[in-house]
Amino acid sequence: MNEKMINLEELNMSDEELFSRVDHNDLESEKITAPRYSYWRSVFRVFFRKRSNIIILSLFALLLLFTYVYPMIVPYDQFANLMDASAKHLTPSMAIEKYGFNIDWIFGAGKSGESTFSAVWNGAKISISMAFICALINMTIGIVLGAVWGFSKKVDIIMTEVYNIIGNVPYILFISVLVLIFSAGFWTMVFALTVTGWLGIAYFIRTQVIIIRDREYNLASRCLGTPILRIAMKNILPFMTSIIVTLAATEIPSYISYEVFLSYIGMGMSEMSLGKLIYEAENAMLTPGWQFEFWTPVAVASIITVVLYVVGQNLGDASDPRTHM
Amino acid sequence: MRHPRIVLSRDEIMTKYLIKRILHGLVSVVIVVGIVMLLIYSALDRQLIFAMDPTYKQLGNNQKEAYMYRKWEEYGYIDYVPYADYVQMLADKGEITEEVRKSVVSFGKKAENDSEEVAKYVAQFTEYYKSQGYEVLRRDAKMQSPKKYVSGGQQQLFAYKDKPLLGRLWNYFTGIISVDNIHYVQEDIENRGLTFTAYDPIYGGEKFSPAIIGNGTRHKYLLYFNDQFPFVHQNLVQINLGKSYSVNLGVDVFDTMSKAQGSYVLSTVTYPTGLVEESADDLHSAVYIAGSREGNLVNADRFTDDYTSVSTVKNAKSKVGFSFVIGILASLMAYTLGVPLGIMMARKKDKLVDKLGTLYIIFIIAVPSLAYIFLFKAIGGAIGLPTTFDIDKSSWLMYVLPIVSLALPSVANLMKWLRRYMIDQMNSDYVKFARSGGLSENEIFTKHILKNAIIPLVHGIPGTILGAITGAIITERVYVVPGAGNLLTKAINMYDNGVIVGVTLFYALLSITSLILGDILMSLVDPRISFTSKAR
Repeated sequence: MNEKMINLEELNMSDEELFSRVDHNDLESEKITAPRYSYWRSVFRVFFRKRSNIIILSLFALLLLFTYVYPMIVPYDQFANLMDASAKHLTPSMAIEKYGFNIDWIFGAGKSGESTFSAVWNGAKISISMAFICALINMTIGIVLGAVWGFSKKVDIIMTEVYNIIGNVPYILFISVLVLIFSAGFWTMVFALTVTGWLGIAYFIRTQVIIIRDREYNLASRCLGTPILRIAMKNILPFMTSIIVTLAATEIPSYISYEVFLSYIGMGMSEMSLGKLIYEAENAMLTPGWQFEFWTPVAVASIITVVLYVVGQNLGDASDPRTHM
Repeated sequence: MRHPRIVLSRDEIMTKYLIKRILHGLVSVVIVVGIVMLLIYSALDRQLIFAMDPTYKQLGNNQKEAYMYRKWEEYGYIDYVPYADYVQMLADKGEITEEVRKSVVSFGKKAENDSEEVAKYVAQFTEYYKSQGYEVLRRDAKMQSPKKYVSGGQQQLFAYKDKPLLGRLWNYFTGIISVDNIHYVQEDIENRGLTFTAYDPIYGGEKFSPAIIGNGTRHKYLLYFNDQFPFVHQNLVQINLGKSYSVNLGVDVFDTMSKAQGSYVLSTVTYPTGLVEESADDLHSAVYIAGSREGNLVNADRFTDDYTSVSTVKNAKSKVGFSFVIGILASLMAYTLGVPLGIMMARKKDKLVDKLGTLYIIFIIAVPSLAYIFLFKAIGGAIGLPTTFDIDKSSWLMYVLPIVSLALPSVANLMKWLRRYMIDQMNSDYVKFARSGGLSENEIFTKHILKNAIIPLVHGIPGTILGAITGAIITERVYVVPGAGNLLTKAINMYDNGVIVGVTLFYALLSITSLILGDILMSLVDPRISFTSKAR
């Protein structure tokens, strides 16, 4: 306190004017005053303390810019140059020679004369959107059900059985049957990846909840009569935040990988996602001069997944309150 | 008063627990197969199987419809009985004579045109199958002119019924294991029975080689010896996981996975008639096919009975064989690399080795597996390693890239978990105690920490070994390995329901077995783990 001390005598006020009586309040006396602490502010303080995180975050922003903004600025038509035989399978240098230097042609052109650069970002848009939507759905359902699963012993018995059984049905079978029942579109893919995908997350959360549920502080809290919901929200959820963020960091890239995998075995969606691009360009891998068509989507898919993973992991580390010292 | 209490020993408790686990596992296998059957037989659009069927496109009208039902029967969706088969069945049972059969088998273009006799049998047919829960369909002929049918417009009459799920499950599971018996052959044959011979006639009847030969059984040789591992073979008990339709016509999934591939191996074969030929036939695999000797001159030359259907000897491994060799070598490589690297990372925590290892782990986890397998393929190709698998060459070099591609991701996985578990153990009290007792860091790490940290990893070893059998989808596809990994995707793409169910059952059994074996192994390694309910 660097304010100047005030001498009360100088104010010329009576005690009644200066002081008022505060009644004893049971409720207030229970409250503990502590320095103001904002959890999320500390998370970001810790996160940005590492220089590498700023770099990786700006890379992430750049990727998002290319995936979501670039396709809006530069219109892309896969079959625009279909009739032009000289526009197909161009190496970067040939494409730049043909069209003049333009960022759109730095990776050459594909088999229909389309710009590989544009194709990749349009594909990335589909893949990333799918990954985020799947992650959102699976994480929400998984966390809520996982918490219930962890708390209730009755639910635990039933759900563990369900988990053991569903876990044995080959995942590809689920997905391919769904893709065959509905058409092989974006939303079918989302549905196929979420219809059983939440189970694994729920199981993971269940195990974590069981670990934390019976710790002494929760036992004490329950003895004092705290309702279960409040225990879940106030005692356990904060503990789980970093686990959930870390989980999301592995989940989101895994959906992109999974989509690539499914497209490669011919069970992907009909939209030109990253996986589909890789699948269609597989033959170009070994053809001299065509390699860019294949390696560009592979490289971009890898960069996206790595960046998403690293951002998520570091955010997960930062959201662990034990690192907030 | 004290009640006498039955005290179970640890072994008894363990056995009890295991039996419970196995039964539990089998129940969930049945449920899994049920779910898969429900998915593919009920949820899937049946028209899909005709998407790439050229015959379907050529047919028209009634014929097309009949063809659809016939195919659905072949794919296992329905029971389908055409009227002609019913009349044939009556004739076979002796209820009607052959003349009657001939006169009633062709029915009228419309129901009104049926002769009185035909109408009687059609009514009988309809009534019989309706009472069994079938639907009876009659399609009147479609005529262009009074004498000429529209293409495919012939009249059709058949009964069909969807197979109920429970019945399907029951039939499937009761048919999995079949034991050959001397009443297999339905025709009248002489001398039904088993004979034991100490001198297998295939080797000329002089060499000592015991064999059990059946007559009236499906297989001629029920037990025999040869020079192939494991030297004694049997045909008595057969495993049927499900007949393939489009992937490998008429062949069981189990055989598709376990039969040798590649090109024929010729050897001098002495046929039962005494004919000697250079041939790849494996006479030990002879299977009975009724009337096959008389109808076929080649068979008549070679065989003295109707056991004429033989499989051939081929030079390359089976699908499972290739997958298993690659998978097992990859797992070996993964453990020999992953465990020391994981220990090293834990010991040099936050040093350069740890950071490089973490980088590698991130690379493997985050990058799509397809991408790094292609990367390994490109790098391998650049050094001059063969990038595609050739079944006819016996070069071991072609195994290198698939094995490396499979092993490197598992290395990362092992490193990640071992490092995690070891670091978790490093701050525990027993380590501090050991350190204060004056043990060297080396001793602490190898004798104390590793022993505790490796326990969760031990649980995965049976899974790794058994998982090698199922193969790896991407790796095998990228390197064109003729393994088992692609069987499921291939079957799904070709709508081969029999194979899908068979492979699912196979996978489910393997995964349950490996979980149980993992638990056993873990309790062997760590005596503290017990499966009694009290200890938990």
